[in-house]
Amino acid sequence: MRTQTKDIRLSYGANEVLKGVSIEAGHKEFVGLIGPNGSGKSTLLKCIYRVLKPDCGAVFLDDRKLADISVKESARKLAVVAQHNYYNFDFSVMEVVLMGRSPHKKALERDNAKDYEIARQALLTVRMEEFAERSFSTLSGGEQQRVILARALAQQTSCLVLDEPTNHLDITYQLQLLRIVKQLDLTVISAIHDLNIAAMFCDRIYVLQAGEIVAQGTPKNVLTREMIREVYRVESEIVEDTKGQMHILFL
Amino acid sequence: MNTEKKRRGVRPFGRKGMEGPTRLSTRAYLAVIVVLAAALVFSLLAAITFGNADISIKEVYGVVAYELFHVERLSEFAQGPVHDVVWIIRFPRVLMGLAVGMGLSVCGVVMQAVVKNPLADPYVLGVSSGASLGATLAILFGAGALFGRNFVGVMAFLGAVAVSFAVLFISHAGGPSNAGKLILAGMAMSSVCSAFSSFALYLAHNKDALSEVMFWTMGSLASAKWSNVPVVLAIMTAGTALFWTQFRNLNLMLLGDETSVTLGTDMHKVRGKYMILSSLMVGFAVYAAGTIGFVGLIIPHAVRMVFGADHKRLIPLCALIGGIFLIWADVCCRVILRNSELPIGILVSMIGAPCFIYLMIRHAYGFGGGQS
Repeated sequence: MRTQTKDIRLSYGANEVLKGVSIEAGHKEFVGLIGPNGSGKSTLLKCIYRVLKPDCGAVFLDDRKLADISVKESARKLAVVAQHNYYNFDFSVMEVVLMGRSPHKKALERDNAKDYEIARQALLTVRMEEFAERSFSTLSGGEQQRVILARALAQQTSCLVLDEPTNHLDITYQLQLLRIVKQLDLTVISAIHDLNIAAMFCDRIYVLQAGEIVAQGTPKNVLTREMIREVYRVESEIVEDTKGQMHILFL
Repeated sequence: MNTEKKRRGVRPFGRKGMEGPTRLSTRAYLAVIVVLAAALVFSLLAAITFGNADISIKEVYGVVAYELFHVERLSEFAQGPVHDVVWIIRFPRVLMGLAVGMGLSVCGVVMQAVVKNPLADPYVLGVSSGASLGATLAILFGAGALFGRNFVGVMAFLGAVAVSFAVLFISHAGGPSNAGKLILAGMAMSSVCSAFSSFALYLAHNKDALSEVMFWTMGSLASAKWSNVPVVLAIMTAGTALFWTQFRNLNLMLLGDETSVTLGTDMHKVRGKYMILSSLMVGFAVYAAGTIGFVGLIIPHAVRMVFGADHKRLIPLCALIGGIFLIWADVCCRVILRNSELPIGILVSMIGAPCFIYLMIRHAYGFGGGQS
C-alpha cells in the first residue's frame, strides 16, 4: 500500500509546527523520518494516524483521502506502534493482542477461533508466544513493546506507522524490534531518533527541520557530514564497515 | 483448538506477588458465573428470613411459596401481619438491594473506564451531591411536592441527572472532552451542590430536616416497595446488559483515546453515551435508596484483582457480586442494631474498606496490575 501526505500544515496556536510537509512511502517501502527534537516528526505521524487533524493538506492511503474513510476502516489499513508508554491496567498479553482485532469486529461480535489464531501468529512473529497468559504489566519495556507490535500485526494492515517505538529501550531491544519489523515486508513509516539505526533499516529517509522537509533519499545520500552539521549542528565522520554498512561517528 | 487449549493453561489460584490476577479459562469462568448465580438465588431466599420481626423460617417460605405459586394448601399465609412483613416489606427490599448493588457496581466499572481513573466511582460526576441537593430542597421546602408521595426520591433523581448532564456539558465546553476535564467538572459541580445544600440547611435551622437529609445521604433500602422495585430492577438489568455489549469499547478506553483511534474507535463519541446511561442508572439508584457510597468503587476493584480487567467478564461478574454484596450488607444493617436500623452507607464503608485493603495488600494491583 502507498501512503502519502500532501502539503500538511498544522499549528499549535501561533506556532506553526508543520509547514507544508509532503512525504510518500511506496509499496513495502521502509521510510524513516529523522530530525532533531521538536522538528515535527511525531506531529506529522500523528496526522497520519489520525490523532491530530491537519489544518490543511491531507493524508492519502492508496489515493483515498484519509478524512473520507471511517476510523474503523483506516484501522484496518494502517496500524501504529507509538512511543512506549506505561499502561495502567491489568490485561493479559493475549487480551492486549486480541484488541488488535477490534477494527475487524462488529459491535456485538465476539472473538472467535480465527481471531485467536491470528493473535497467536502475531505473538509468534514477535517471539512472545510463551507469554500469552502473562499479565501485560509484569513484562519488561522491551517485551511490552513487542506485544504492542503483535497487537498492530493482529490488525492485519498493509501499512505500519512507528512513532519512535524504541525510545527508552536498550539497544538490544531497539535492534530486535526493528529487525522484526523489517522482516514483515510491510509499508513502514517510522520516526527514528538514532541516525545509525536509521541508516541500518531505512530504504529511504526524510529529514525534517522546523516543520519542513530539508532532505530526502537513500541513507547514503541523505546522511552526510554536511546535512548532520546543518540540521543537528554536530560534527561527524562517516565510515563504512567491512560489510559495507555505513556508520556515523560523532566528533 | 490449539489456541483454545493454550488459553486454558490455568495458573495456581490465589498466589501472592508479582503476577496480578489469574486468567481463568473459559470453562472455569463459566463455572464461577454459575456458582455466583446460585449464590444470588440463595441470598435472595436467605435474606428474607432476617429481620427484627420474629418470624419462623417455615412461615417465611410459606408466604413466598403462596405468593409465587398460589397453592391452596398454603392459603393460611395469604394475609395477616406475617404475610405483610415478608411479602410487602422484606421481599421488595431484598430485590431492591440486588438491583441497586448490581447497578452501582456496573456503573462503577464503566465510570472507571470512562474517566480512565481507578479512583472513580458512580458518584464521580457529582451525582451524589446533586441528589443530596435535590433531596434537601424537597425535605426543607417541599420542592417538587407535585411528584406524589415519594417526591423526595424524585427530586433526588432529578438532581442527580441534572448535575451529571451539567458536568457532561461543562466538560465539552471549550474544546473536546477528556477524562481529566470530566473529573474536574465533576468535582466542581460537587462542591457547588454541597455548598448550596449546606447553605439551605444552615438558613433553615431545622433539626428534623437536618437529620432527614443526613439519613438520605447515608442511604437506606427501607423505602423499597412493589410499586418501585420492578422499574428499578428493569432499568438496572437493561443497563447492565447494554454495557455488557460494549465490552470491546470499554477495554479500548483503558488504553486511552489515542490508541483507541488507531484501533478503530473514536472514544469522544461513545464516552458521552456511556455517561448518560450510567447517570440514569445512578439516578434511579439514588431515587430508590439514597446515596450508597463505596459499592461502585470496591466491587469493581475487588473483581478486577481476582479476575482481570477484561470487561467481557468484568461486567457480569460485577453485576452478580455487587447484587449479592448489597443484599447481605442490607441484612447486616437490619440485624446489627436491636430494634433499629443502621444506614447501609455506613456499614458498606465499615466492612468494605478493610476487605479492600486486604485485597490490595495481597495482590499486586494497579488498575489493576500496577508497576510492581
